[in-house]
Amino acid sequence: MLRRLPLFLLVCLCTGRLQAQSLEGIEIHGFVTQGFLFSSNNNYLTMQSSAGSLAWTDGAVSVSDSLTDKLRVGIQLHMYQLGQLGGPNLQLDWASGDYRVNDHLGFRAGKVKTVIGLFNDSQDVDAVFLWILLPQSIYPIDNKSFFLSHVGGEVYGRLPLGSRAGKLHYDGYAGQATFDLTGGYVKQAADGGLVFTTAPGGKIYGGDLRWESPLTGLTVGSSARVQALDGTAPGGSVHVAPTFISTEYAQFEKGKFYCAGEYRRFPLNTIVTIGPAVIPVPQDARSWYAMGSYRLWKKFRVGSYYSHYVNKALDTSLPANYAKDWVVSGRYDFNSYFYGKIEGHFLHGNGLGFYESTNPNGLKPNSNMLAAKIGFSF
Amino acid sequence: MPYACVDMRDMSKTRWLILLGFLACWSAARAQDVVLVANKGVQISGIRDSDLRAIFTGEKTRFADGSHAVPVTLKGGPAHEVFLKNHVREDPDEFRAQWRKAVFTGQGAMPKTFDSEAALIEYVAVTPGALGYVSRISPQGHDNVKCLPVVK
Repeated sequence: MLRRLPLFLLVCLCTGRLQAQSLEGIEIHGFVTQGFLFSSNNNYLTMQSSAGSLAWTDGAVSVSDSLTDKLRVGIQLHMYQLGQLGGPNLQLDWASGDYRVNDHLGFRAGKVKTVIGLFNDSQDVDAVFLWILLPQSIYPIDNKSFFLSHVGGEVYGRLPLGSRAGKLHYDGYAGQATFDLTGGYVKQAADGGLVFTTAPGGKIYGGDLRWESPLTGLTVGSSARVQALDGTAPGGSVHVAPTFISTEYAQFEKGKFYCAGEYRRFPLNTIVTIGPAVIPVPQDARSWYAMGSYRLWKKFRVGSYYSHYVNKALDTSLPANYAKDWVVSGRYDFNSYFYGKIEGHFLHGNGLGFYESTNPNGLKPNSNMLAAKIGFSF
Repeated sequence: MPYACVDMRDMSKTRWLILLGFLACWSAARAQDVVLVANKGVQISGIRDSDLRAIFTGEKTRFADGSHAVPVTLKGGPAHEVFLKNHVREDPDEFRAQWRKAVFTGQGAMPKTFDSEAALIEYVAVTPGALGYVSRISPQGHDNVKCLPVVK
């Protein structure tokens, strides 16, 4: 951390001078965050969190330019360190061309963010959320790189349904998604003896339909995604046949009040081969959350959520097959660029976010956790 | 009575629109609202509140006549807050968060922002399709900027 702190401060100072520069139409934006985690009983997210850990740094820079009034191009580079995940190397978050024919139809191509549910495409943009950790049952931070974007194309648009029927937003996509070699899935496989040197990946296609209702602030939607996956490591392989993942969601915002909820079903039949052994890994994940927040003062917001994950394909009485999390959170905006957050988690079960390598003596069923974060965005 | 000598039927449609625009801007300024300013090349004579909100939230990139819209904002201050509250129905933090989300997901480019109303008007004057707001009608006016009334 002592090595990263000067880097964090340097980025803040340099970007503070940049202040969202626009060089003849070129837009430059960025953010950097530093997190802290302290947990009881177990180590979380590959961090030594039971001793208190600052090994959580995130940063990104995006550059975009409008070439014509219909065509915009852009790129975003991202660096993250989350315990043993991520690393110092820059990753390509997205890089795309966006051709907007009109307000009803547009196309994006390249590496584009994947729209699933309320927050999938924005889950790495810490500055826009009250929460330090989004509900992990649906947005697991250790595997966000895999779900965040894909290489391929996307068609999107917005259809007005009349003054009394609201608007419909649609999004359809197809392409290829690959694991992050420094991410959670690869780390879990390595903990199990399967070390990937090339990232497993597979074809995906899907879409999202959301209805902005005539009741101001109410949005209801549904997402669907089909995902296949194959990967080969020196000691074995992994295979996932095309799998259908569905998500339903709703959110409501009125004045200082916000609430949202989401349900996802993620059935998966993974076949792992290690040497001569063929190991089926059944999963039928049922995940949901309900959240609410309120702006107490202009610069201070508070909120709470409950996040629920259970793997119905296995014995749901075992802590390894469920993860339930009660969360309380607060955020203070020092100014337009700097903010701080604090969050308490009451975790039951250890089906998500816990790794064998950082918990060599086994896992206890429950943990409490304190998280804090400061961030800078321009 | 001198004004009785003016035959209203002689006034062209353009003059009527200018007069209506002026009255709308004047009443907006009187009612603690902001005044919308657009590049003179913008062909529409008024803008619906729903279209205004859609343009400033990035949902729409075009005016009702199909021409390209370039929204611009002030960095802060009372006029910025009044505009967002009255026409976008968001506070400055929500507005900024929404655009940050669009920027960092590759789905949009943040509107250009200005420290002063004078700088905003200068930009609107030279940028086709530009649409912004100021706290009151500039007494000097500007040749390439027109006032755009909001139609509820």
